[in-house]
Amino acid sequence: MRLARRRPTRLGIHMTPMIDVTFLLLIFFMTVHQVSRVNKEELALPQLAGTQEQSESAVTINIDREGRIVVSGQVLSLAELASLVGQELAGVGGDPARLVVLLRADRRGDCRTVNQVMALLSRLEILRVRLAVEVPQ
Amino acid sequence: MRLTSRTHRPPLDMQMTSMIDCVFLLLIFFMVTTSFSRTERELDPAVKLQQAAGQQADLAPTVVEVLARPTGGIVRLGSRELADPAALTPLLSRLDNKQDGAIVLVDDEAPFDLAASAIQACKAAGFSLVSYVPRGLATAAGNR
Repeated sequence: MRLARRRPTRLGIHMTPMIDVTFLLLIFFMTVHQVSRVNKEELALPQLAGTQEQSESAVTINIDREGRIVVSGQVLSLAELASLVGQELAGVGGDPARLVVLLRADRRGDCRTVNQVMALLSRLEILRVRLAVEVPQ
Repeated sequence: MRLTSRTHRPPLDMQMTSMIDCVFLLLIFFMVTTSFSRTERELDPAVKLQQAAGQQADLAPTVVEVLARPTGGIVRLGSRELADPAALTPLLSRLDNKQDGAIVLVDDEAPFDLAASAIQACKAAGFSLVSYVPRGLATAAGNR
């Protein structure tokens, strides 16, 4: 009986699954990157060194050059912001110390809206606010 | 002449080179665009009302006023008025009562850049507790 010669197996790297995974990762990171930027408006922040790295915040309040309050892409009035922060506060069990608020204000604007927001936060007993700054290039 | 019965098909092979080129190009594109996004850090002032409201307190914090002027704004420390907030740091560094904290009292019309710079200067001078006090709020609380 003649047996077929065993053909040597080809040593090859399977590229297809690798490329599938690579594209999947690429799309995943692109999406995550977009989602994480949705809370941050394009603002000219004060060019300062800051005191600490930016941490994750529960509420990101953007104040543009004209003094508009923008949260998650929506322009809010002060009353609407109060309601939103109140909801967030209720979400952390009503403890203001546990609610991290990041205030991103445009450096070209004045402090009128910033002061109003600070007043609002202090009324809600949120006494620690983080001001975003931009590290100079 | 005997011809082979099986037609000799060339092996079906995917052209990987162009795809890998594309992947690397995308990779480099995202690496470059990511480096353009600016690094953000933060200042963490407290929002306070009590000391600025004219109430008696055991501690006497340093008060830095950020005032609006037609030319932009100035920073006032005691009787000294400074247009450049960078000049504030050496002045504040000479003060001894750093453990008492500093208050940055901000006018509504003052530029926000100046207010943030004043907070940064206080932090740089060694004040661990820096409070942001809106001037309108301080006045309102003081009138109560």
